Amino acid sequence: MTEKENIMAKKKSSRTIVGSPLTPTMLGELGALGELATTADTFKPDGNWINNYRIWTCHGYRESGNDNVGWLRIERTVRGPKGSFILKVRQEVVQTDRLLNVIDVAINSLNKQPPSLVEWQLSSRFIEPDQRRKNELEVVEKGAVNRNIMTVTTAEHTLKREVPSALTCDWCLFEAVQHLDFEEKPALTFNLLEGLSVLKEDQQLSYRGRHRMKINGKDISLHRFDQLGRGILPYEYWLDDRHRLLMVTSMNKAYILDDQAEKAIR
Amino acid sequence: MNSNKTAKQSKQLVNRRDFIKLGGSAAAVLASGTLTRNVLAARQSNKSKPKNILLIITDQQHIETIAAGGCRYVRTPALDRLKTSGVSFTQSYSANPLCSPARSAVFTGRTSSECTVYVNGRPIRPDIPNLGQWFSEHTDYETFYAGKWHLPRTYTSTIPGFKVINTGIGGFGYLCDTVMSRACEGFLRNRSKSKPFLLVASFMQPHDICEWLRLNMENPGRLRYPQLAGQLPELPDNFEFDKNEPEAIRQRRLGNEPFRGKSKWDKEQWRYYRWSYYRNIEQLDAEIGRILQALEDWGYIKDTLIVFISDHGEGMGHHQMVRKSSLYNEASRVPLLFSWPGHIAKNETDTVNLASGLDIMPTLCDYAAIRPPQNMRGVSLRAVLEANGSLERDFIVSEVSTNTGRMVRTPQYKYIAYADDPAEQLFDMKNDPGETKNLATSSKYASTRRQYRKMLRDWERRLDVPANVPNANVWGQKV
Repeated sequence: MTEKENIMAKKKSSRTIVGSPLTPTMLGELGALGELATTADTFKPDGNWINNYRIWTCHGYRESGNDNVGWLRIERTVRGPKGSFILKVRQEVVQTDRLLNVIDVAINSLNKQPPSLVEWQLSSRFIEPDQRRKNELEVVEKGAVNRNIMTVTTAEHTLKREVPSALTCDWCLFEAVQHLDFEEKPALTFNLLEGLSVLKEDQQLSYRGRHRMKINGKDISLHRFDQLGRGILPYEYWLDDRHRLLMVTSMNKAYILDDQAEKAIR
Repeated sequence: MNSNKTAKQSKQLVNRRDFIKLGGSAAAVLASGTLTRNVLAARQSNKSKPKNILLIITDQQHIETIAAGGCRYVRTPALDRLKTSGVSFTQSYSANPLCSPARSAVFTGRTSSECTVYVNGRPIRPDIPNLGQWFSEHTDYETFYAGKWHLPRTYTSTIPGFKVINTGIGGFGYLCDTVMSRACEGFLRNRSKSKPFLLVASFMQPHDICEWLRLNMENPGRLRYPQLAGQLPELPDNFEFDKNEPEAIRQRRLGNEPFRGKSKWDKEQWRYYRWSYYRNIEQLDAEIGRILQALEDWGYIKDTLIVFISDHGEGMGHHQMVRKSSLYNEASRVPLLFSWPGHIAKNETDTVNLASGLDIMPTLCDYAAIRPPQNMRGVSLRAVLEANGSLERDFIVSEVSTNTGRMVRTPQYKYIAYADDPAEQLFDMKNDPGETKNLATSSKYASTRRQYRKMLRDWERRLDVPANVPNANVWGQKV
């Protein structure tokens, strides 16, 4: 081995393995949390609101490899008297050498549990550090679901696919979980169109109680919902007493409510 | 392959005119015993050339993780589709069950020790061309690379011979695979169809199991998700095994998370680990599905040769191992699938032929109708894929552990040796496919052991391993 390789090997062998799953307490220990977001008295899950989340990842060691890699904004706007709403989503994830993947979505949903997808617009684009867009990698499409048929329309094509019922998407769950009662009930079952693109079936979301914990030295209690299903590692949704979603943890990544989330990757 | 046997066969199989047609490099290739009768036949009959080539590589995928291949613990519609639309191998091996070394062999057709990629994070030796460089120079395919590279950087914006779609975030498979497959989808949607492409889509998953292990090393003594209690996969049949092993293997096992926490894993934790690994496989499958769907939606599927391979396998509790870097089947055997509708046999499972990551380069060169670079250590699999012949190959070799370990695999046996370690392993793969009974210590198998040592030594002597590679001078001498 070269001297450089030896130094790297020594550094690697001195790292401490985290050892236990990511939880709000563990995120605090690993330095992923700043001041926990507070929720205004006026917050209503079925009203108009904006939640910004940092996307933080963990390599499994305490000392290194843990970082913010993106951010997610979810904006809910009530659309009609029956409670249908529009969810506007922006997700930015930083790639190799600062290439940025930006996804913009507007979803028109019915206010069911889980929210039913009606129609949406999605764009995925890649932006170089000098702000040049990589047009050759862009995806722009409109989608709609009607009676188990999903129609996706691009500038050139219209594609139809059969999809299962009770279909929602991962971003909608960030909204939906805030409506659920804090009590043990039969699990909410649904199918997931992850990223409005790939199907993941047989999902279940269930309440797992109120958890008291210490975060950054403060005693806090949060409510937890677990999502298990095909094609995903379990997601844990952590909410405050006002039903606002503060954190989501899933294996090696976390979404952390943070008004300054966008700045974390700038 | 024994060189005398090869030379004899070559005389029988190749006449002078064939030889001239093949060009100067054929002499070296034939001498090394890597060009088969079937490859020659294929080349001479002007077989079809795919308009496009898609090479999908996954990271750390155990071979028994495809539902259509019999795995009852996962749903893998995309991999099922690939498997049933083409040919899959059950005796397919990584040339070195560790990320960078395995990849160096896939992308060059040369052993990892020859490439000087004996550990992770080393570049390929500059005088050995990679697939992108060779195709750029010798074909009209435009060459693209998306995803994990790891030779040396895990993700990078520059790879010799490739235009890089630089998506990925080191070590986070779920996040970066999603972005990578979206980029590939965009690439396929926006590209002019007139120019043929070679696209490598290199996924990080199911490698996230490494992060899972670090985040679940401590055995909590109860399931975090109690509702899984009745759903956890069984332990593999070879969870218990013959402990007469080389020290390198024993140390590797003990250095892994199941044995490092405050309390050793119980069987439930092992089964939960397996359950989690299968969920990573399903995540991966969904992203592969996105690319396959784009190929179909945008009209490429009939004109595209799809090759699918993993760099190496995953322990999954076989021999109580996790991760890679061992020569047991769980880490060294890899899924290998080929699909090209109308050209490659449909829904065929090849349980006979031995295949290697070393075969990717010569096989793709064969399909692109070009000669491969000199000194290929693998062979073209085309004859088998198109069901018009078999491979003239007696064994394959894999390396491991910073060039300290070697494996010789024949249809009957697997022989494993480590430099400076007297413990050898010999398994009867037909009667003990789980590698649970080490026959190396039995006097009954002394001559078999000697024979395999000689096969390994003869193979080693043909390799061009630079002196700065650890243990470069050990192999090829051990008798």
